[in-house]
Amino acid sequence: METLRDAFDFSDFSKAERIGLGLFTIFLLVFPWLGAGSFVKAVMIQFLLFSLFGMGWNTIGGYGGQVELGKAQYVGIGAYTVALMMVWWKIPFWVSMPVGVLIAIGYSFMIGYPLFRLKGHYFAIATICTSLVLQDIFINWKLVGAAKGIELPIHDHPDFLFMQFKSDVYYFYFIMALFYAGLFYMNWFRKSKLGYQLRMIKEDEDAAESLGIDARWCKIKAYSIASAFVAVGGGFMAVYNLYIDPYSVMDLDLSIKIALMAMLGGAGSMWGPIIGAAFLIPLDRFLGSWLGGQKGLIGVDFMIYAAMIMVVSAYQPRGIWGIIEQFRRKGA
Amino acid sequence: MFLQVVDLVKDFGGVVANNHISFDIDQGEIIGLIGPNGAGKTTLFNCIVGYHKPDSGKVIFKGKEITGFKPFMTNREGIGRTFQITKVTAGMTVLENVMVGAFCRTDQRPIAKKEALEVLGFLRLENVKDYHLNELPIASQKKVGLARALATKPELLMLDEVASGLNPKETEEMVDVLKRIHQEKKITLFLIEHVMEVVMPISQRVIVLDSGEKIAAGLPEEIVKNERVIKAYLGEKYAKGFRD
Ligand SMILES: Nc1ncnc2c1ncn2[C@@H]1O[C@H](COP(=O)(O)OP(=O)(O)OP(=O)(O)O)[C@@H](O)[C@H]1O
Ligand SMILES: [Mg+2]
Repeated sequence: METLRDAFDFSDFSKAERIGLGLFTIFLLVFPWLGAGSFVKAVMIQFLLFSLFGMGWNTIGGYGGQVELGKAQYVGIGAYTVALMMVWWKIPFWVSMPVGVLIAIGYSFMIGYPLFRLKGHYFAIATICTSLVLQDIFINWKLVGAAKGIELPIHDHPDFLFMQFKSDVYYFYFIMALFYAGLFYMNWFRKSKLGYQLRMIKEDEDAAESLGIDARWCKIKAYSIASAFVAVGGGFMAVYNLYIDPYSVMDLDLSIKIALMAMLGGAGSMWGPIIGAAFLIPLDRFLGSWLGGQKGLIGVDFMIYAAMIMVVSAYQPRGIWGIIEQFRRKGA
Repeated sequence: MFLQVVDLVKDFGGVVANNHISFDIDQGEIIGLIGPNGAGKTTLFNCIVGYHKPDSGKVIFKGKEITGFKPFMTNREGIGRTFQITKVTAGMTVLENVMVGAFCRTDQRPIAKKEALEVLGFLRLENVKDYHLNELPIASQKKVGLARALATKPELLMLDEVASGLNPKETEEMVDVLKRIHQEKKITLFLIEHVMEVVMPISQRVIVLDSGEKIAAGLPEEIVKNERVIKAYLGEKYAKGFRD
């Protein structure tokens, strides 16, 4: 019980942070009624989705300090499970999404076990590779639509079981609910034993081991928590976009964006992933509408992201949130 | 027998850092481990707690063979250790550092916090509990390393040069802390130390390593008179000083 209360207890944050969170929540609640156009609404949905991804990544990547660059494979697992179960067996979202999460967790343990024998750059590269391999398998796998991907059958009336709605508003509130579930979870996580142990591993892995911490096992656990988070988001992507293929839900781009956003905002902090997504998602969409399909081709987006991350991390390795904290400490 | 090291060998491909080392430690003892730089003291610690896998030989703790156990496993068996060099980090406060140690024995944050505060009080570190390691002087950093290990509630505490780099006053304080850990917490101490003012007065027995070999073991007053030890390590001056 004590620990459950931790999820909803924000009392150790500063007053400014708590007021900020309150205002932000009110803003989100009324946002659909502010008369924003469909483009802006779509950007908001993406922002909440990527915040959710980033929060998940933050467990292993931020608190645990492991450069994890393969989250896309778990987005894919979540998305494909939802899509395929609907297409093949007409199974509703509310069943297929949890199944996708369970598969992602199982898969993450399988991958994580050998993966966390590696450290540093080797680990980072291996995470990329595992994700690329899974993507390649899906690109060539006829049964799951191969490179063409899968279209979800569209129901002609709104259907809560399959999360099909005419209006974006429903999707907005749904991803908002997932976002807050993630936020409360992270608020619990950062105060949990695992949260403390991961931070110690990030600080000094040898010292952590000397304090009875099985570093590898802790990392595997955090990795699978992160995987579960992004699989939820993947499931959402399937019902929201109604079309998925290995490029949209399993690409290296996606893995890098997830990690980059959290690092830019501030890895290992509660608000970092949200701040990062608030910066990068609108930028990403803006570049997308400006450059159209060429954006990915010429790689302008990643050049800009890379420049941003270099500038920020040269100044403060803990990202934008780190800079804010630095100023606050000086002011105090 | 509390800790038993039997015929332990660690060979770093040419450099034999520990060459057939054997010794025992009884519960409640304070044992000093001395020797010149590169003698193999830290390596011996690392072989016992599991950072290195010995090439041969055995480590037995409380009757259980723990040779080749991982460091987190030996800690769970009841062995705590500190490091010769404390990694100076900036991501966690002193209190959080010590809480991580306490989390070793509980899943409850309030309990971990309470125990961490107790340990910090015991080591007189309460006033720096909200600082980060990089904001502290060396003496306090060393004490935090000690506090973290203590919070895991070890029965055997292995300290690697816990008094190096301290000024005379801090050294005196450290000796006092070690005595209190031994007397009040009933923890067996095994300490590597270059500072003779620390190791000689409090150790009940002293083990001497030189170039990977155990060259002597015995009471402190015997060790300072031992010819081989004087030649290899202590030098005439210290031996004389000790006799006076
Ligand atoms: N990981 C390692 N790989 C190879 N050689 C090592 C390693 N660790 C230690 N050595 C070598 O083993 C020998 C013993 O080193 P060790 O660190 O145990 O000495 P020490 O007695 O603790 O010395 P000091 O008083 O300087 O701390 C040295 O020659 C050292 O260079
Ligand atoms: Mg040493």
